[in-house]
Amino acid sequence: MKPKGPRERQDDSLSAVVSPEAVTRRSNGRRGPAPPSNIRRRVGTGVGLCLAITAWGALLAPGQEHLTAPGRMNVGHEQLACTSCHRSAPGSVRQQIQAGTRFLLGLRDTPVDFGFREVENGDCYACHERPFDRHPVHRFNEPRFSDARKAIAPQQCASCHREHSGRRVTVQPGYCQHCHGELQMKNDPLDVSHATLVRESLWLSCLGCHDFHGNHVMKSSTRLADAISSLRVARYFQGDASPYPKQLKKPARQERQNLEH
Amino acid sequence: MLSFVAPMTVYLFVTAPPPLPEASAEGGKRLTASEVLEICAGENSAVRELYTKEIVGAGQKVGLRFDEQWEQLKVDAGPLPALFLRRTSKSLAQSSVRLGLFLGSDNPVNESNRFSGPQADAFREMLRDAEPRSFFMNDVKLYTAMYPDFAVAAACVDCHNEHPDSPKRDWKLGELMGATTWTFPSNSVPVSETLEVLAALRNGFRDAYAEYIEKTKTFSSPPEIGKKWPRQCYCLPAPETFMQEAERRSSKPTLDRLLSRR
Repeated sequence: MKPKGPRERQDDSLSAVVSPEAVTRRSNGRRGPAPPSNIRRRVGTGVGLCLAITAWGALLAPGQEHLTAPGRMNVGHEQLACTSCHRSAPGSVRQQIQAGTRFLLGLRDTPVDFGFREVENGDCYACHERPFDRHPVHRFNEPRFSDARKAIAPQQCASCHREHSGRRVTVQPGYCQHCHGELQMKNDPLDVSHATLVRESLWLSCLGCHDFHGNHVMKSSTRLADAISSLRVARYFQGDASPYPKQLKKPARQERQNLEH
Repeated sequence: MLSFVAPMTVYLFVTAPPPLPEASAEGGKRLTASEVLEICAGENSAVRELYTKEIVGAGQKVGLRFDEQWEQLKVDAGPLPALFLRRTSKSLAQSSVRLGLFLGSDNPVNESNRFSGPQADAFREMLRDAEPRSFFMNDVKLYTAMYPDFAVAAACVDCHNEHPDSPKRDWKLGELMGATTWTFPSNSVPVSETLEVLAALRNGFRDAYAEYIEKTKTFSSPPEIGKKWPRQCYCLPAPETFMQEAERRSSKPTLDRLLSRR
């Protein structure tokens, strides 16, 4: 049996879905309508595009941000708008694409942000600026904290407060060990000495008496037995109510403030 | 494919808006990180000496107090010079410039200010010749410079010798007590950016001093705030008066340093 040519194979495949009359008209040449398969493809593409644009528009519509967010907002941040932290990058979209392309081609020295700027410590300070922070993150940029930077990157707020996790603190308790391993106190007020706690690596006990940023109005306990349990602290990290006194030295602002000079 | 690439090329490059500027594109004179940090350290030395001598030293003689716990509500005191610097550093961290400032020593009153690692090594060398030291921190990509911090006033020596937590009690006037550590992310800085850095630093001084003045309003016996200095009365200069004097002392050396970088 002679093998069929390409045209014959195509006609066979069409016969199942197209009427013989239509096939005849098409074979007549130039004046006939477009092939039905092309019509179906174009209609399908059009419908697909419309659906995609509609879906994209719905995702970007105001109030639908939760659909595109990578996870639940952290505790205390539930009411924040996306733009509270995600600020527009400099330039128009066209300038950003242009600069990004030039950077990829080696025609520009520095990369640019596309769409939004990277969220940085300054975005956190905009609401959480505290003059008397016991552990301000910028201090960890000092050379002597290089080991701590390798371990937990404490120079960035987001290292311990990773957003979209639905929690309050995302680092594991016990991180004090990275800087206070050689702690010495001349007049130790605690009944179990700090030296003992360090020697026995009881790092989960630290936050029972000291809140990390020092923003709660509280007096440290002098008896280890009176300290807040590490379990309560761990639950607080996860999002439970604070085990520390309610009075704060400086509550967070409800809306961001531009602190840059 | 061509029907997509061609219009996009025209859209992005032929009819494009002005390209986004980048710092390195700025022409003209540029400074190294060490040069920028040297200027900053000079400014800081002038303000630190002014605050230590004319506010802390003279203030103590007329009854003003300065304390580590100065920020506590019921403590009628101002920041010690080290805490004044720390407040300046905090202000810098909140500014748009990436200038870092830290204070440390090998014999600090507060253990958290003790040098270790590369800073301790650099400070040991500094103790021999009192010269600045600089190095690069690879993990955070920051150019770093350390500048000697001397006992410029009797208040430095007296406080450190009398403090119960001080590990050294025989400090002498003029002795090298510690060092300031400065960090900056770029080693090629246009003059315009250098000026932004200096403005942020001066804002930091102002913020730190203004915070102290704000605190004095809560004192049981608030000092008079105006144009007078503690040498004259139980009073303090207003922030603008303090900064005018700070700028008078530091501007000429700063300008000289900028002009010498040709």
